Amino acid sequence: MERDGGSAALPDRVVEDLLYLGCQGRLLEAVVREMSGSGQLGTAFADLDIDVRAMAIARAMRSFADGSGDLCHPGLLSPGPALAFGATPLEFLRHVTARGTSPASARAGGLSWHDTDRGLIGWGGPRGGTMTQVMAGAALAHRQRGEDRVALVFEERGALQGGGWHEGMSLSGALALALIVVVEDSFPPDSADATDLRAMAGVYGADFVSVGAMELVELYRLAADARQRALGGDGPVIVELRPLPDEERWALHDGLAEAAVADDTISERERVDTEAAATASVEHASERLGKEPGPSPEEALAPICAAAPPIRPWPRLDPPSPQARPVEELQGAAW
Amino acid sequence: MTAAIPTQVARTRSGEPATFLEAISEALWEEMERDESVFLMGEDIGEYGGAFKVTRGFLARFGATRVVDTPISEGGFTGAAAGAAHMGLRPVVEIQFMDFVSPAYDVLTNYIATSRYRGAGPLPLVVRGPVGGGSRGGPFHSQNVEMAFFHTPGLKIVYPATARDAKGLLKSAIRDDDPVIFEEHKGLYRAPHCRELLPDEDYVVPIGEARTVLEGDDLTVVTYGLMVHRSLEAAATLARDGARIEVIDLRTLLPLDEEAISASVRKTGKLLIVHEDTRTGGIAGEIAMRVNERAFEWLDGPILRVTAIDSPVPFSGELEDYFLPSVEDVVTAARYLLDY
Repeated sequence: MERDGGSAALPDRVVEDLLYLGCQGRLLEAVVREMSGSGQLGTAFADLDIDVRAMAIARAMRSFADGSGDLCHPGLLSPGPALAFGATPLEFLRHVTARGTSPASARAGGLSWHDTDRGLIGWGGPRGGTMTQVMAGAALAHRQRGEDRVALVFEERGALQGGGWHEGMSLSGALALALIVVVEDSFPPDSADATDLRAMAGVYGADFVSVGAMELVELYRLAADARQRALGGDGPVIVELRPLPDEERWALHDGLAEAAVADDTISERERVDTEAAATASVEHASERLGKEPGPSPEEALAPICAAAPPIRPWPRLDPPSPQARPVEELQGAAW
Repeated sequence: MTAAIPTQVARTRSGEPATFLEAISEALWEEMERDESVFLMGEDIGEYGGAFKVTRGFLARFGATRVVDTPISEGGFTGAAAGAAHMGLRPVVEIQFMDFVSPAYDVLTNYIATSRYRGAGPLPLVVRGPVGGGSRGGPFHSQNVEMAFFHTPGLKIVYPATARDAKGLLKSAIRDDDPVIFEEHKGLYRAPHCRELLPDEDYVVPIGEARTVLEGDDLTVVTYGLMVHRSLEAAATLARDGARIEVIDLRTLLPLDEEAISASVRKTGKLLIVHEDTRTGGIAGEIAMRVNERAFEWLDGPILRVTAIDSPVPFSGELEDYFLPSVEDVVTAARYLLDY
């Protein structure tokens, strides 16, 4: 049964998904912060924020496992949307802890990874804005093939200060690409930020919406509408997520859970079961992580960096030189 | 109704010799006809046909979704090419003058080149455009950019010297699963001596293989691009004195065909490297080191190099002629080595 307003306006499975993802995100945030505090991870991870609003937006996209759904770049330090696109807590923890089993065999860091079958394009790089360019190109590819897919990219606000982001937006606006850019404002702003994001969106022909402590159901609808606008050929959409303290972000999640039970979208038992399942998935990932091997240089680097063994200098191979030492003498020598 | 075939892509099918530029156009056209995933991006490549008219007539044939005019934002559209490549397309990006590839340096070296390494899979894309001096373009329309990218694992760099190689190598680059920087010397684009009859069939030239343009056993000259032609002129001059010069056209700079280089050095015992790029940090230094590693004991003299001087490319014709390596420079250095 569906009614107007409240969580019941959404299909039950969407509400359950939002609750499940929120639980996973909250627990993972705590696990990573604890690991960072205890020195198991770099200090950069002490500031990890998983924004439940970002997960709601990502959940409003079409996510499939066969490469036919929407595409998402989940952001540098905010991996919540990756969970909404089918990543697991174990994959996430393997990645941040650079296990040998991580998606990139620990060759790359960042908090996101790449799996286009699930709709994930990940990178953690030195300069913000690049991913808006890349995702604009993905949107261009969708259009070329006549596919009703959008590209969703999460950028932190600092990216707006670099030219790369503007070049990506300029291209997206000029070609009216189906691109949704979510600007996460959850990090301390850089000191020289004079960006008027609303005005800037207008310059690039983009629709703009700014989101504070919006109920997740409403935000989900908003994101779904943005998706339809982008697919309609009206050009990109920029969504600004204004900063919220931890407790206010997670209060949105708790509010959804209470409303869902109150309006019978889910039962209290279902809510408890959902939370238990999410907790079990994170606990399993944490336990399993300790058994995962570290990276192997021979396996991880050899096929990438060197097509052939390094050439050792000087030995004359053919014909043999009277002056040259036999090659065998060079084996094991330190170079 | 099918759009008319532009003249610059119809030379071979008409049985006529093609210029270097027409060979590039033919390669692009044929690859776009062969594979729907191939598309073009760049500034003014659609209606205008590109600054050098390489893509004239392409828009009418392939439409705006496959011949994409972009804003003036090399970083932006090169990054977008990466996104399209992630989704299975094979973009070919035209940089109007390769001097302007520098705004795309970030995305090329940090994102595109590292894609395989980061577990993000191969990125099949080509970044191509005109390079080189001699056309009085000054410091912003005359540079050679290969060494800006040579140090970056994950990229390939191709720099052909003939129309046949340009077409075959560009086809290989487009079909390659890794990103390729493709440099085209604009001094060769319409040079009459570069006009040649190209094979009728769908041929490719493998990336990573040098070509011995002239065989000899007195001295090896390793070079590429326009300097292949200058080196051949020098070799002809020296031949009148009885010297037999071996000229190797690298064709691909990354990966470097060091086997071909060292095999030639083992034969001749002497090596001269000629490149139009500036001296410091030029590819000559790397080649010299590799010969040191692989063929040191065959050397009968120092390794020398003839290059542009370490300066931005000058605008004045007199200055530019002084700046660029000349045939006389190559002859002088070669005679020094021959007499060594």
